[in-house]
Amino acid sequence: MRSEKIFQILLFFFIFTTLTIVVGIVVSLVTTSSPIFIKYGLDFVFSSVWNPVKESYGILPALLGTLITSTIAISIATPLAISLAVFSSEIIPQRFRSLMNSISDLMASLPSVIYGLWGLYVLAPILHNYLMLPLHNYLGFIPLFSTKPTPTNLFTAGVLLAIMIVPFASSIIREAYTAVPYNLKEAAYSIGMTKWETVRTMLGYIKSAIFAGLFLALGRAMGETMAVAMVVGNILNIPKSLFDMGYTISSLIANQFPNAEAYEYMVPALYGGATILFLIGLVINLVGLYFIKKVMIKG
Amino acid sequence: MNKRKLKEKIMLGTISLLATISAIPIFMIIINIYSEGLRYVSLSFLIDFPPPPIGGKAGGIGPALAGSLILMSLALMIGGCIGFFTGLYLSEFSHTKLAQYTQLFLQIMVEFPTIIIGLFAYSILVVPLKRFNAFAGAFALSVVIIPYIALNVREAYKSIPYSLKEAALSLGISHPKAYLRVLLSAARRGVLTALLIGMAKAAGETAPLLFTILGTSFSYFEGLDKPINAIPLLIYNFALSPYERWHQVAWGASAILLSIILAIFVISRIVVKEVKI
Repeated sequence: MRSEKIFQILLFFFIFTTLTIVVGIVVSLVTTSSPIFIKYGLDFVFSSVWNPVKESYGILPALLGTLITSTIAISIATPLAISLAVFSSEIIPQRFRSLMNSISDLMASLPSVIYGLWGLYVLAPILHNYLMLPLHNYLGFIPLFSTKPTPTNLFTAGVLLAIMIVPFASSIIREAYTAVPYNLKEAAYSIGMTKWETVRTMLGYIKSAIFAGLFLALGRAMGETMAVAMVVGNILNIPKSLFDMGYTISSLIANQFPNAEAYEYMVPALYGGATILFLIGLVINLVGLYFIKKVMIKG
Repeated sequence: MNKRKLKEKIMLGTISLLATISAIPIFMIIINIYSEGLRYVSLSFLIDFPPPPIGGKAGGIGPALAGSLILMSLALMIGGCIGFFTGLYLSEFSHTKLAQYTQLFLQIMVEFPTIIIGLFAYSILVVPLKRFNAFAGAFALSVVIIPYIALNVREAYKSIPYSLKEAALSLGISHPKAYLRVLLSAARRGVLTALLIGMAKAAGETAPLLFTILGTSFSYFEGLDKPINAIPLLIYNFALSPYERWHQVAWGASAILLSIILAIFVISRIVVKEVKI
């Protein structure tokens, strides 16, 4: 009986440690960032001036950068992730399936700094020469492509993020796709549907899982730090086009934090950025988890 | 009828094409990293100090490799312990409110931007000590891997058939014995996978280390309260430096890091296979 008690206490101890850490993260974010919200209020979010020497901080350019890069990423990743999931559970021959899934899982587990290095030295020059320059030269009159591109910019960061989140989103979709009851598929074929029509029916059936995967992937894209910091250009401007160099909130923190202690309000300002990032991420992930729950109840 | 057949061909073709496109990067990354990186790797590359920007010897990544191994083992010890028991609680007491809320918190925490965890470790372990230190880095990495380990251990224990649990508990042995000896061997595959996932995370994460370990590269391990370096941090710093020589070291270090990740990945696949038989 005594060892049971000790075991229970031990389990409680560890679970409280975990909870303390979660709560501690939120508390430390809020308390450290509160000076900036007290001093600047909403100006901190809607101002675009970032001048530590004058102690004025506005996070808007970085916030826009985060939104732009993650929007690019999710719009590229959506068709790719769904296709990859369908391809690896429906089209590819059975014996290659586990290999294909392994490759996709490996991709999801590569460190972001490796993506960053590759993005900086391989992907960025390719995109620059074969996609961004032609787009700018021929379609430069469209505001989206109006800036003369450098290899590292918001667009490059968005594409790199898309590459990074595709396997993650597709693994969630794939799991739901393979869990669809088999008689649904049989029913679809038995009324003479073609393979594509069956696939479309099945995709409709797992809509929630697709949303879940895409939302969770969007959350990842917004929080991603190292890879983005290496290819986004790191210039604090209100972006005028997709080809502008920019910042995201997380890359701003990564880049500016090392010299933040030298200024009075810069540490609170960067924690403030982290708080905003945390809040956006929280909402997106809760939506994602809500959709996953829906899938699980259905399944 | 023909129209539908045509549409099927087109759509399935598009799906295959898009799927192929999304799988191309992984092959490019592996090929590029090894073809660029391996030529700088040698035994001395694994031991030596980094080279000066210009001139001097070729140098290596010795301190960063040692630092990474130290940080990984510490993180796995701390995070593995907390994560394992948290996961065990989540599985065996899943009816309690405490477990349900903790699980939700952990699911959100998995998706936390890891740079926030770096800031957290900075404020509780670097600011009070007034110095960047290895322990803060190890702590930050532990926090990153706790949710992964806890959620996976939970899955592993959940997947044990209920009859087996009843049998174990009916033996009359104590609970800790039942959970940690009998049932752990039934869940070993999943638990091991959880730890391997944690290890791979700890090996590759960079953002939590930015503000905690500083990344001094010119001395080997000096103590947990002193700065230290890690391979991912070295890659980041050197890749963004203006020196060609340091870029080469970053490529070499990436080849090493990629090999570590690949090794962990292959081991975890073998472990999973062993389960199925």
